[in-house]
Amino acid sequence: MLQRFLDPATLAAISGLDLVAKTVVDGFVAGLHRSPDFGFSQEFAEYRAYSEGDDLRHVDWNVFARTDRCFLKRYRGETNTQALVLLDTSASMSYGSHSVTKLDFARFLAASLCYMGNLQRDAMGLIVFDEDVANYIPPSTRQGQIFRLLHAIEKAEPGTRTDFAKPFFHFQNFLHRRGLVIVLSDFYEDPEKIIKTVEPLRFKGNEVVLFHILDPQEIAPKFREPVLLVDMEQPTASLEVSPEYARRDYKRKIDAHIEALSSQARSHGLDYFLMNTGRPLDEGLREYLFIRQGRM
Amino acid sequence: MGFLTPWFFAGLLGIGLPIWLHLLRKHRSTPTPFSSLMFFEQHIQSSIKHRRLRYLILFALRTLLIILVVLAFAQPYVQQRVLPLTRTGEITVVAVDNSLSMRAGGRLDQARRAASSLIGGLHPGERGQVLAFGSRVQVMSEITDDHSTLNAGINSIEPSDARTSYAELARSLRSISQATHLPLEVHLYSDMQQTGMPTNFNDLRLDAGVKLQIHPIESKAQPNFAVENVVAPRRVYDSKNTRVLATIAGFDNQKATRRVTLSLNGRMVETKTADVPESGRASVEFLSLDVPYGLNRGEVRIDSGDSLPDDDTFFFSVERAEPRHALFVHDSQNPEALLYLNAALVSSGQSAFVIDSVTTDQTANLAPSKYAFIVLSDVGSLPPGFENQVREYVRAGGSMLITLGKNAVAHNRVPVVDLKTQGVAYAGRESERFLSAISLDTSHPSIQKDNRWDDVKFYQAIRVTPAGGRVAASLSDGTPLLIDQQIGEGHVLVFASTLDNIANDFPKHYSFVPFIEQTARYLGHLNEGPPSVAVGSFAELRDSKQKGAAVDVVDPKGKRVLSLEEATKAQNIQFTEGGFYEIRRPNAPNELVAVNADRRESDLTPVPQETLSLWQNTAEGSSAAGGAVEGQQRPLSVWWYVMIVVLALAVAESLVGNRYLSVDKEAA
Repeated sequence: MLQRFLDPATLAAISGLDLVAKTVVDGFVAGLHRSPDFGFSQEFAEYRAYSEGDDLRHVDWNVFARTDRCFLKRYRGETNTQALVLLDTSASMSYGSHSVTKLDFARFLAASLCYMGNLQRDAMGLIVFDEDVANYIPPSTRQGQIFRLLHAIEKAEPGTRTDFAKPFFHFQNFLHRRGLVIVLSDFYEDPEKIIKTVEPLRFKGNEVVLFHILDPQEIAPKFREPVLLVDMEQPTASLEVSPEYARRDYKRKIDAHIEALSSQARSHGLDYFLMNTGRPLDEGLREYLFIRQGRM
Repeated sequence: MGFLTPWFFAGLLGIGLPIWLHLLRKHRSTPTPFSSLMFFEQHIQSSIKHRRLRYLILFALRTLLIILVVLAFAQPYVQQRVLPLTRTGEITVVAVDNSLSMRAGGRLDQARRAASSLIGGLHPGERGQVLAFGSRVQVMSEITDDHSTLNAGINSIEPSDARTSYAELARSLRSISQATHLPLEVHLYSDMQQTGMPTNFNDLRLDAGVKLQIHPIESKAQPNFAVENVVAPRRVYDSKNTRVLATIAGFDNQKATRRVTLSLNGRMVETKTADVPESGRASVEFLSLDVPYGLNRGEVRIDSGDSLPDDDTFFFSVERAEPRHALFVHDSQNPEALLYLNAALVSSGQSAFVIDSVTTDQTANLAPSKYAFIVLSDVGSLPPGFENQVREYVRAGGSMLITLGKNAVAHNRVPVVDLKTQGVAYAGRESERFLSAISLDTSHPSIQKDNRWDDVKFYQAIRVTPAGGRVAASLSDGTPLLIDQQIGEGHVLVFASTLDNIANDFPKHYSFVPFIEQTARYLGHLNEGPPSVAVGSFAELRDSKQKGAAVDVVDPKGKRVLSLEEATKAQNIQFTEGGFYEIRRPNAPNELVAVNADRRESDLTPVPQETLSLWQNTAEGSSAAGGAVEGQQRPLSVWWYVMIVVLALAVAESLVGNRYLSVDKEAA
């Protein structure tokens, strides 16, 4: 198996998002193309009893001839999925302790997912939000959809603060079909509130994946001397933090937050995956796909 | 503890720098954006206090560094007690005074016993040296650890007639110290006479390595009488006018009467009494002394009854001789000069010369060598034969006096010496009334005794070119008045005027007699020394012409002082004891020298204790006289100890500071 661990800093040096997505995805597509279950699509074939109101075009008449009962038949090739990427561009996403910010990393990740979905002819869509919906690309398989998506991702700029409630309530209206919803965010919110906000998507039959994007400094801060921290979403709020506190208390809290978010997400049938921006993007993405593949 | 330069403590203001850096300077934290502060709490906020705690070690190091640097510059010192013990290689020097005063009351025996006791107390292997000193220092033993040798040196110290000289002892101690480069512990046994101290205290200084311990033999002044001085003629030519004057001195005495006896050649001549006042002096005069021909030994003795009998006798020598003849050659027309010359010689007291007067016509059969000296009184010219004889006489060592007058002008030359006359200096009415002698060479024997010629009026003087002669006197117009011309071994004095009362009024002045007397003695080689000399004086045994001739010297005990080799080579001799020394020279009359101990030794007053302490303090290693050997408080500078600590602190500060600096880099 060919493995290429692409440093986010290396990806940042590539000018176009299409090239970034191609660079990331081509690697492991080439390595995984033999897999029959590759992809995000729900390739699902079923027979179900006819019920009143069903389209008679889907009745399997052969089965009716043998059993005298009407069953509806669905072929795999007919089941292309719809995927919607929700990209958080709140101010906190612009943080980065190295050359690649969380937003950059999220853009690379969103572009890669869109590119990968496009390869599978899935209908990929995009919603860029912070405390409100900043941009919306409806899912589509039309020609040129990928370029619209990449353009929208590239154009995404850090906004204000994160407010999950308002944009999620808003774009629930955009989801008319069941599909895959991928949320890319740092989730600086109460896990319960996040789950409570995201959970309705699940109720509509969507599969929801939460990519928790965090900087290494956010996961395990290393301050050697007291620093004055300024909240990027609330510039007026600042705190002088001692290294000891960051090393002990903060670490404990962020770990608890990640654990709570992870456990609650799983308990509500949501996929959760922590993406460390310090790790190579393809490595993280591959790890996630393996986990997902194993579960399916 | 003290500080040599305490004003450097102003540098403590530098402590303000680390205080400002660590405590007062506000830490300006650069605001660091962070994604969210939802996991940070307000009450855990970092504080300056925390930062202070973190850099406390660095702050302490820097503050201590500055304090110690300032402390080092202030040069701290501590009073350290220095124990004067175990001076490596120390030599014990025993110095015993054997001067005349140590004869009093068995002082020398006491000193020797004390010194022997000290030697007996030395540890085996300790080295020592024995010195005896009076006016000179005698090394009685070499530096040795053989204590029997040291004891033998002490026992061989003999009393002497020399006077005490502590300066000479100090000089010798300095020489020993500089030669050995070892510390000396000097034990001085002496009666510590005040008169033995030098006039310049600096002469007593000791080197740093010399420790002086003084052991005074006698601490109190004792009464003492002494014949301090005797004035008597060295040479007499008749016994009529011989008188002897003796001075009797009393030191720390009550008023007393002492009997004074004059003896000659061991025979008592006359006895008188002297009333000596309290700590004063009395004079006794003996008016008649019948002196036989030849060398005579005179003594003046007192019956003092004190503890020091050796200064009760004063020796003097007196010689009875026939007057010597001098030739006076003059012009028959001018006899006044002879009159004044004779009168002057007679007036001088002892007439050592008899003048034989002749005119120039009577000189044909005369032999100049028979005369002590010759006087040519304005003779103009001499018969050629006699002039040649006189010239030879002078060249062989004879002397003559030539006076110039009108006859010298007529012949335009000075006989015998062949000096040319250049004219006559007159004091006429039209100018100065007379000439004066304004320039006198007081070192010349003729003028040495009396140089008061200011009132002498010279009316006529003959100008003579000196031609290399010594001008002993000049007139106010620059005319040489007295010229000393050496011819061969002899001397010729040319007086540019006459000895009569015509060309000048010199014979009528009081300075004329001493001039004639001294000139006669000078020309007649009548060099009279004092009737006695002090112990320690030197006498010349021979001149350059007598090289190789044996000179015999017999000391007061009748022993020959010089060995055979020394008798032919010794240039001089030092008289070391009181009494009569007889010096026998070849081709010269014998000489009898009376030698007396220095009468400063008779004053037994001891040196004050304060002066002794000062002397001991001239050496760093000395302790107080008679005091116990105690440690001294001496400042010991400790600044370099402080600098070592400063160096260690600087290293520690660098290490700690570098550690913090690297942390900051990592955090940044």
